[in-house]
Amino acid sequence: MRTFIYSVQTAYKSILRDKWINLLTILSISICLLIISAFVTITMNMDSLLNRWSKSFGLVVYLDDSLNSEAENTLKEFFQKDPDIIGVKYISKEDALEELRLVLGSNAEIIEGLKENPLPSSFELKLKSELLDSEFVKQKAAEITNMTGVEEVQYGEKWLSSLNTISRIMKLSATFLGTAIFIAIIFITYNTIKIFFYRRNDEIETLKLLGATRGFIRLPFLIEGLFIGIISGIIGSLALYGIQSFILIKGTEVLPAIRAMIITFPLEVYLSVPIAGAIMSFTGSLIAVGKIKY
Amino acid sequence: MIRFSDVTKSYNDDVVIKDISLLIEKGELAYITGPSGAGKTTLLKLIYAAEKPDKGQIVVAGWDIGKLKQSTIPYLRRNVGIVFQDFRLLNNKTVFDNIALALRIHDMHPKEIKKDVNAVLKEVHLSHKSQIYPQHLSGGEQQRVVIARAMVSKPTVLLADEPTGNLDDKTSDSIMDLFREINAIGTTVLLATHDTSLFQGTGRRVIHIKNKQIAGEEIG
Ligand SMILES: Nc1ncnc2c1ncn2[C@@H]1O[C@H](COP(=O)(O)OP(=O)(O)O)[C@@H](O)[C@H]1O
Ligand SMILES: [Mg+2]
Repeated sequence: MRTFIYSVQTAYKSILRDKWINLLTILSISICLLIISAFVTITMNMDSLLNRWSKSFGLVVYLDDSLNSEAENTLKEFFQKDPDIIGVKYISKEDALEELRLVLGSNAEIIEGLKENPLPSSFELKLKSELLDSEFVKQKAAEITNMTGVEEVQYGEKWLSSLNTISRIMKLSATFLGTAIFIAIIFITYNTIKIFFYRRNDEIETLKLLGATRGFIRLPFLIEGLFIGIISGIIGSLALYGIQSFILIKGTEVLPAIRAMIITFPLEVYLSVPIAGAIMSFTGSLIAVGKIKY
Repeated sequence: MIRFSDVTKSYNDDVVIKDISLLIEKGELAYITGPSGAGKTTLLKLIYAAEKPDKGQIVVAGWDIGKLKQSTIPYLRRNVGIVFQDFRLLNNKTVFDNIALALRIHDMHPKEIKKDVNAVLKEVHLSHKSQIYPQHLSGGEQQRVVIARAMVSKPTVLLADEPTGNLDDKTSDSIMDLFREINAIGTTVLLATHDTSLFQGTGRRVIHIKNKQIAGEEIG
């Protein structure tokens, strides 16, 4: 415990003595952390936006004109039993015509002359949002098309697949960027701590000869690395908070819809990114100190 | 306390010590002497495990040097106080902190550290210089700080390498008095020196090394 206190004091002195190197290190890591946390926040926002969009996504199943209401009911029950489907809405021929009439508005007289309703009845199906993968939906649509009494199945195929692609690319780049940045943080701390370690080489040699354990020699450097990581994390988080607040305030003035799009300050990011940064800095200093040989 | 059995040590095929056997008893004060380059420093380094023997066995205070694991070396060194030829004082620490460092590595309470360091400073007559940095001290004073650091942790063995290397006669005498005092409280003391005037007339054991081997012993 006293060793720990002494190490903290030593680390503290070292940070003050080399304040410029340390400041530069902390700034570099803060920027790294800011970039990654901003990216993660954007990805999370995009993801929730995509999720909300996909909620409105539905399959429209057009029915055969010859189908009687009993057969339509059987189909409806079948869809309701399907665990993949969370919503079934029946739209009769009359409803469809009414809708068309509304859409046409003042031009509605075009259809007034029709003797017979040319529109088919249909079901609007909503799928579970986790199943909204373009391959799956395609397969599901094919299955339903093959059922007796089904004329055609329509859905926003292109739209769904591009939505999926965007989401996948975002997640992939977040992972990739995250890994790259964390490695960068390890390297930045490694460099700084290595410089201090080399510069105090004489002192370390003397400590070894006096009978200091490896732990005693290492601890101040590890604490310094950890300290650098934590401070950087706090600065990075504060910067992210500032930027996000700014966007929220300035952005909503211009475009009020932004408010709905932004998840306000994801706590996971505010906590985990600085913690991950601290762990990476610690790892960097651990590698820098390396194996101590007597 | 210190036993060498047929010890050979070489640096990259250059044999420095060849088949040396030696026994230093607990509580002894002995001198190792020989011309420059004879291997005195190497012998001391073998005792505090800065070097490992190529052949033979060395036992120091019960520790077998050749078999010591890296992680146990610090514990051996806590039993061996060393007065380095090149002092190894840290210039960014005061006299007090330099000496205290030898106790801080033991996880000792700051109050006790203060008490022990002040006591040892008194013994080497440097109490008034405790807050001075080493580079502002004279050679003799620096030497006394190094001795104080070596003895503050109350080691069972004290090694000194050319402890009067570049000091005038009067200062040397006072340094040698210090070693005798340390020895008087039961510490085994081994001094390496090429200066024959240090041990003449002391009545202590003197071990001569020459041509990589022990050339003889005498009472100084
Ligand atoms: N680390 C080393 N590497 C190679 N040779 C060394 C090393 N240390 C000492 N020597 C050589 O070993 C011999 C003995 O050196 P040393 O033990 O310092 O003698 P002394 O202390 O008696 O003057 C010398 O010839 C010296 O050059
Ligand atoms: Mg020597």
